[in-house]
Amino acid sequence: MDVSQKEAKDSLNQIQEAATYTRKTITASYDSGLLIMWGLICIAAFLGTHFFHNWAGYIWWVLSGAGVVLTFLVVRHQFRQANPTKTPAAERIGWRIFWFWTLLFVYIFVWLSVLAPVKDLQMNAFIITVIMFAYVVTGLWFRSYHMLWLGIVVTCTTLVGYYLIPVGYYCLWMATTAGGAILGTGLYTRFFWK
Amino acid sequence: MAELDNIIHQPVRLRIMSSLVTLEPGEQVDFVYMRKILKLTDGNLGAHLTKLENAGYIKIEKTFIARKPRTFINATGKGRDAFQDHIAALQAIIHGKKEIDN
Repeated sequence: MDVSQKEAKDSLNQIQEAATYTRKTITASYDSGLLIMWGLICIAAFLGTHFFHNWAGYIWWVLSGAGVVLTFLVVRHQFRQANPTKTPAAERIGWRIFWFWTLLFVYIFVWLSVLAPVKDLQMNAFIITVIMFAYVVTGLWFRSYHMLWLGIVVTCTTLVGYYLIPVGYYCLWMATTAGGAILGTGLYTRFFWK
Repeated sequence: MAELDNIIHQPVRLRIMSSLVTLEPGEQVDFVYMRKILKLTDGNLGAHLTKLENAGYIKIEKTFIARKPRTFINATGKGRDAFQDHIAALQAIIHGKKEIDN
């Protein structure tokens, strides 16, 4: 088999492209749908809080609760039926992720009770940044670098909102930056990531 | 000296092996998913997978998950080694060491 240098280079480029695309699409298939969902929830909750401040508590409880239930159903479906890959440790890893997030929310409540009383703005910024910490950590664990960067970016925008944006505009800021970043990352990894 | 592998060098099979070798050892990919990411038909993908399986480069597992049949594919150790040798041979050609005749 005669292969020229050009053909060899083309083959190596094809190998690199196929490898990169495979890893990206498999990674994106796990979290792009969830990011789109949570991005929309984030935008809706912050906009709802801005325009209907008296109902803020209910809005966040209802939307977050729905998000948690849907996340559980989506992830369970993913691991049971639609998982693009299968590893011997997949189910163990899946349960670890589930318990990690469950315990994280338990600890959020614990920390908030220890730190009480906290203002609404503090509680909101605290919860968002703790969740973004989880994104950063899981991004590192699973080499999902888009999650890692999303966590860092939204943490920064939250801190900007908390310290620099006038209180009356905080929710609009967060709907646009945090919600927009999460939604945008989900859409990008689902439809445009090559 | 690493040699080019006729079986792997075919463009579709090259992409198949590139995708499979990207996964961790022991990690399997679903047939339908592989068909989508490589943009192939069932028949086309199946034919190339058979060739790779006959060479011992991949393993195909048919199983049931939630009572639905699913087919998973993974690269074998032999396949990973052959793929790495093929890459080494391509790199040797690029660096002008030798054009290898098979």
